[in-house]
Amino acid sequence: MTVSRRLLAVLIGAWLPVLLVYLWWTASAESTNPYFPPLSVIWTRFLELWVFDQVPVHVVPSLQNLAVGYAIAVVAGVGVGAVLGVSRRTARYVEPVVDFLRSIPAVATVPVFIVIFGLDASMRIAAISVAATWPILIATMQGVRATDPTLLDTAAVFRITGAQQLWRVRLPAAQPIIFSGLQLGLQIAFVVTIASEYLGAGFGIGAFTLIATDSFLILDAWTGVILMGLLGYAINIVFDIVERIALRWYIGQKKLA
Amino acid sequence: MTAEISIRNVSMEFPTPDGVKHVLNDISYDVNQHHFVSIVGPSGVGKTTLLRLLTGLMKPTSGEIQVHGERISGAPKGLAVVLQDYTRSLMPWLTIEKNIALPLRNQKLGKAETRERIESSLEEVGLSGTGGNYPWQMSGGMQQRASIARALAVRPTILVMDEPFASVDAQTRFDLEDLVLKVRADFGITTLMVTHDIDEAVYLSDEIVVLHGRPAGVRDVVVVDIPFPRSQIETRNDQRFTELRTHVYAMVRGLE
Ligand SMILES: Nc1ncnc2c1ncn2[C@@H]1O[C@H](COP(=O)(O)OP(=O)(O)OP(=O)(O)O)[C@@H](O)[C@H]1O
Ligand SMILES: [Mg+2]
Repeated sequence: MTVSRRLLAVLIGAWLPVLLVYLWWTASAESTNPYFPPLSVIWTRFLELWVFDQVPVHVVPSLQNLAVGYAIAVVAGVGVGAVLGVSRRTARYVEPVVDFLRSIPAVATVPVFIVIFGLDASMRIAAISVAATWPILIATMQGVRATDPTLLDTAAVFRITGAQQLWRVRLPAAQPIIFSGLQLGLQIAFVVTIASEYLGAGFGIGAFTLIATDSFLILDAWTGVILMGLLGYAINIVFDIVERIALRWYIGQKKLA
Repeated sequence: MTAEISIRNVSMEFPTPDGVKHVLNDISYDVNQHHFVSIVGPSGVGKTTLLRLLTGLMKPTSGEIQVHGERISGAPKGLAVVLQDYTRSLMPWLTIEKNIALPLRNQKLGKAETRERIESSLEEVGLSGTGGNYPWQMSGGMQQRASIARALAVRPTILVMDEPFASVDAQTRFDLEDLVLKVRADFGITTLMVTHDIDEAVYLSDEIVVLHGRPAGVRDVVVVDIPFPRSQIETRNDQRFTELRTHVYAMVRGLE
């Protein structure tokens, strides 16, 4: 894509958010309702808090939990998913359990982890990683199963079998499917990161927002909400960039097809 | 001459919902070392099935296949394949070089030797300098050349090809046929090829195996007594060429 076309794409994507922010800004400008302060006031407070005074206190711990929890989920999801994908026998025993566990709403598991881990970061990391594992595991399992038989035959004749077949053929071929699971997993991980901070945390964006609300610091609470939105958006953009690099071969092939 | 591959009384049956499907019946045939053998026969007769048995992807219901006198189980050592559907046989996430390098991993060659094998096989098929491309960035003919390069890089003694040129245009097909003849002349690889194109079979082969019937048996083995080197223009206008192709054609159609 040329630079100007990319710019055009950004502009087309941006008009609605820009319009909404503008409407919010003008509609709230004269507001005296304490629950809906003017956006300009929220924005001033946002800059005071988050550029970058409170970032080390509240943003860093949240992102740390997210990063560690997600990393565990990626390793566990891809690892277990790959094994279940190639071994039908193992899958027969394990899949019903997986289906049951993944049907439990992610946020509902937090109390269980509090019982097991108490209220510190390990509880949050455990909740994040477990919730994010399922979509990654399912996507990997399905991707690894769906390998084109012609590719597998070719590999077999060249004596690429067993673990090598999994690592060199099935997993790379499944990348496009695995990445859709990774993306869903990341979104869930972010939700659970915030939600897990609503219980017993002193630090973190979720904790900050909740405490601000409880203390009637409505302005601060609003900045927390905006911060979460912006962070979630930024995380998605980073993911898209990584995906586009990893799947260059797939995107290129699709474009020519 | 010694037999590189011996097919001994091979039969193949597939279980299907409507009972057992008997596809190959008591096939026996020896492929001589350094020979080029084509397998022809009507569509659905069992040509691909026979190749899959030879490459160890399936086991025959009865009978056995020997390579160098040893019964095979699984893919025999020193055997390489080229399939018709190159888009599904080259790994799209690997560049051509890395595709060629993949089967070499098991040979524990070392960096320099691997490099050398990649370069020399790309050169053999006329693709020098294109190793950094992805398969899907290349034309069909080039992808099939790359598949041949991948096969050659393992230094096979046996090359097995299933309709390797069925998906390319006519001109590319002639070029690839001549490439295969050159490879054969350069390395003396024993080659087995399935093809629908009887002219192609006559042009390339030392012997043509005609499969026919349900279940299929070896209907005839035709020796192509046209001397090498062959050329697209002269050989194809040779009177012997015309006789042989007419004969093979009639047998495939079950007319003779
Ligand atoms: N795994 C299988 N299960 C059941 N039947 C099969 C299986 N593989 C092949 N067959 C059947 O065996 C017969 C021979 O198939 P095969 O693919 O070997 O034919 P072919 O000669 O290669 O045909 P074509 O010229 O169309 O490629 C067909 O009737 C096919 O349906
Ligand atoms: Mg076939």
